[in-house]
Amino acid sequence: MKSLLLLVTILFISALCGQGQESKRAQPSPWEKSVVSLEVSRRQYDYYQPWTRKTSRVQKTGILLDGRQILTTADELFDRTLVRLQKNGRGRWYSGEVTWIDYYANLALVTTSEEGFWNGLKPATFGGSVSEEASLQILRWREGNLENRRAEFTQYTVREGQLAALNVPVIEADSDIQNAGWGEIVTANSHVVAILSSQEGRMCTSIPGPFIQSILDARQKDRYHGLGYFHFYWQGAQNPASLARLKLTGDPRGAIVSSVPPRPDGLDPVIRTQDIILNIDGHDLDIQGDYVDPEYGNMMLEALATRNKWAGDDVKMTIWRDGALTNIVYKLPKFDYSVSLVPAATFDHEPEYLILGGLVFQPLTDSYLQSWGSDWRRRAPFRLVYYRTEQPTKEEPALVLMSQVLPDPYNIGYQEQKCLVVDKINGRHISRLTDLREALDNPKNGYHVIEFAQSDSLRSIVLAAGDSEKEATTRILKRYGIDESYHFESKEKQEK
Amino acid sequence: MAPARRRPFSTSIVDGPNLSEILDLGQRGLDHSGGAYHFQSVLKQIATLLLAAAWLNLCQAADPERSVIQIFTFAQQPIWDAPWRFDAVRRMGGSGFVIKGKRIMTNAHVVSWGRQIIVRRYQDPRPYVAEVEYIGHDCDLAVLSVQDEHFFENLEPLELGDLPKVRSAVVTYGYPAGGEEISYTRGVVSRIEMETYAHIGNRRLLTCQTDAAINPGNSGGPVIQDDRVVGVAFQGMAGLENAGFFIPTTVIEHFLKDIEDKRYDGFPFAGIRLMPLQNPAYRSYLKLPDNDLGARVDGILPIPSTEKMLHFDDVLMRIGEFPVASDGTILYHGNRVSSALAFQWAQANECVPVQVWREGHQVDVSLPVVAYQGDRAAGYQYDSLPRYLVYGGLVFTPLSLDYLRTLGRNTPEISIGESYYELYYKKFEDPTNARPEPIVLASVLADSVNANLRVRGRTLVDRINGTRVNQLEDVVKALENSTNDFDLLEFLPRDSFETLDHAEVTKANSRILKTYGISKDRRL
Repeated sequence: MKSLLLLVTILFISALCGQGQESKRAQPSPWEKSVVSLEVSRRQYDYYQPWTRKTSRVQKTGILLDGRQILTTADELFDRTLVRLQKNGRGRWYSGEVTWIDYYANLALVTTSEEGFWNGLKPATFGGSVSEEASLQILRWREGNLENRRAEFTQYTVREGQLAALNVPVIEADSDIQNAGWGEIVTANSHVVAILSSQEGRMCTSIPGPFIQSILDARQKDRYHGLGYFHFYWQGAQNPASLARLKLTGDPRGAIVSSVPPRPDGLDPVIRTQDIILNIDGHDLDIQGDYVDPEYGNMMLEALATRNKWAGDDVKMTIWRDGALTNIVYKLPKFDYSVSLVPAATFDHEPEYLILGGLVFQPLTDSYLQSWGSDWRRRAPFRLVYYRTEQPTKEEPALVLMSQVLPDPYNIGYQEQKCLVVDKINGRHISRLTDLREALDNPKNGYHVIEFAQSDSLRSIVLAAGDSEKEATTRILKRYGIDESYHFESKEKQEK
Repeated sequence: MAPARRRPFSTSIVDGPNLSEILDLGQRGLDHSGGAYHFQSVLKQIATLLLAAAWLNLCQAADPERSVIQIFTFAQQPIWDAPWRFDAVRRMGGSGFVIKGKRIMTNAHVVSWGRQIIVRRYQDPRPYVAEVEYIGHDCDLAVLSVQDEHFFENLEPLELGDLPKVRSAVVTYGYPAGGEEISYTRGVVSRIEMETYAHIGNRRLLTCQTDAAINPGNSGGPVIQDDRVVGVAFQGMAGLENAGFFIPTTVIEHFLKDIEDKRYDGFPFAGIRLMPLQNPAYRSYLKLPDNDLGARVDGILPIPSTEKMLHFDDVLMRIGEFPVASDGTILYHGNRVSSALAFQWAQANECVPVQVWREGHQVDVSLPVVAYQGDRAAGYQYDSLPRYLVYGGLVFTPLSLDYLRTLGRNTPEISIGESYYELYYKKFEDPTNARPEPIVLASVLADSVNANLRVRGRTLVDRINGTRVNQLEDVVKALENSTNDFDLLEFLPRDSFETLDHAEVTKANSRILKTYGISKDRRL
């Protein structure tokens, strides 16, 4: 009897213990069915040797939306060779395909044609704006588990985008998550509220849900033509003397336009220097150039260029000009890397170059300057970096530089020359490699005369044209293991 | 960029002994004017003993160290972004040597910005006050005089020798840091080349490199070979071990000849950028034989005489007595050095005969050479205090390398970039629009009259009240001659601007000067 009692007791205790273990097991998060991993393989270019290729691989996070679309950031999806998807943080990888990408907005949609991937997954939805008290969670798959890190909301603000010098709304939050900024999902109250685009220390910057949703909606309605922006410089009106000089009546308010460069699309700028912008699309501006956004609170006026408005859309402005109120309509120009004198990015394009007798010519781009490493703004040649502050003109829409000389008897005497911006070749002005190629077809009396931009460095080089040039180029390509003497964009793009 | 790699070699002790401490020893021994008689008597005895010991040492000392002088300079530099103020007094240690005419030769950097210069003889404790008689900042040389005639008693001037040969032995004499006594170091001349003189930063003159240790404090000391001075020790190079540099007699003699008319003009400048001409195609294009002679004119500075007499793509075949090689060098005493040296034989405003190959023909040119001042702001400046104007708490001052050095790493890149471009590139790229004296708003001295300004300084000034600012006088005129109620100040880049209430500023000016302890609102 005692033995039976002991057995019953043991069984009862075991049962209790079993129940305890069951209750301790973590409940699967509903987000496990919506958050996916992406693995991106891509080409990497060495712009100092533009004919070489490397590859790199990065792991990112995406969130499943309706319509079998996975949303992630566009970062690291450029020059991609392979995109793979994985669900549940483990198991097999599925081949992915990018269906839409916008580097300026730093957003991309990815899908897969493999049916098996979608089984068991559940689309997520975007929530609205985040309140100050909201508890934010950052989610991503890590070592087979869904990592869930708390983040403390700091503010909505306007910052330059991760991939473009374009002011866009962002959420800033504080978190102890490590190595983030690769599309991790930010949630609050069972909704996606943002996706993480960058991290610096504990400060996490993410793209807010309402901004993403507005782009996706506009895209669905075929209204999205890229992000627009205000193509002028302005400053706050905190200085009462400035407002008095401009004879503004009433309370101090508005943002004062300080500089209006020519528009890249050639349209009338409409706005003028010393205009005071008082209202944009119904939003009054305070003396700091801020307005009260219904979703984000106080935001810089730049956010009104992307608040449900896209490139080509009209923005209504009330301005103070010459002592009177005036209403104007400002058409938002499209932000494009190529409208800068030094393009900020050349995503999805292989580096262009042309080799003439060992002289290597390349377009001057940020990608080239970034060859100097993470501190390239200080380490790259000053003059080349300073070109970034200059505006393109009709005569000078872009720049070509002689980046280096591959030593050979043909170019003896020039081997140490590098980083020189080309002005003319054989009397023809050079802005693009296509100009350069055409100029080389017309040597001057058997010589190629290469003139560099007037600066504190070398002004000209002369090379022999004709057979010796061709022989030298062939010899140099062989010696330096280079397959082609040039690489340009496709012919269509050149003509465009 | 600023010549950061090279450094002039005087010692600098910011927190070292002060002026009175340094003078203490001498006054104890020699000053009879104060204190109790007994104490004076003791002092007299000590002084006599010290002097006797010093004299004995002088007699025993072998030449030429008796003529090597220890120099202490108490220097005070202006603060370039607060130009009415000065840095703390710094004690700089250096060396020098006696030359003909009862003078001491040393480096310009040893005595620059000196408030007081103290010189001491070999093993003689007595300090003497010296003064700068002539100073050449471009060649980093100075000549000092000492009022007290006793200083030069029994001191033989050192004779100048010739340019030493490479690999020949030299001995440096001086008072480097790490001890009080004279120091000798032996080495050989490693090479002779044109090098940047770090003291001014934007001039290249002939330089000898040696492996004899040249350390802080050696600056200004003689480099001796066969009892003759073959150079003046002056700088080192960061990252190079066993390498010091001295100024050869070629440069010293040019300096001494220059000051014969009791004025220092400076080393002449041809004002051209000469590039090697070694590519057969370029030589053939210019109809030159494919030999090793001739270098090409690739750029010309805005010096009227040079612009008139030399052209782009001229080939210089001979400068003075020196044939110019295709790599742009001349052969000087067996050393291949930059042909710029050939122009430096002349004194400023003299003419140098130049043989030029132009459009397939030989042309003889007599090229006037000048001591170019157009790039003064691009090098380190001395002697003249920085110009400035304080208006409404806004501090305007000329852009210069010295000013740029005050900018910390936290200064926005855009501000640095704009100033740097204006100082170093604009005159080459856009000479017609380059400003003779670009002006910066260095800082804003906080006051209620400027409290609402967003700009806080570190900004290049573009226009004031519609007037383009080309020099500091333009700022003064634009602000003081304005009859508008408001002053409009426009800055670079991106045309940011600020407005000041003219009447309010007029009222505030004296208050601001008083608050910040500025005795004068301008130095023009």
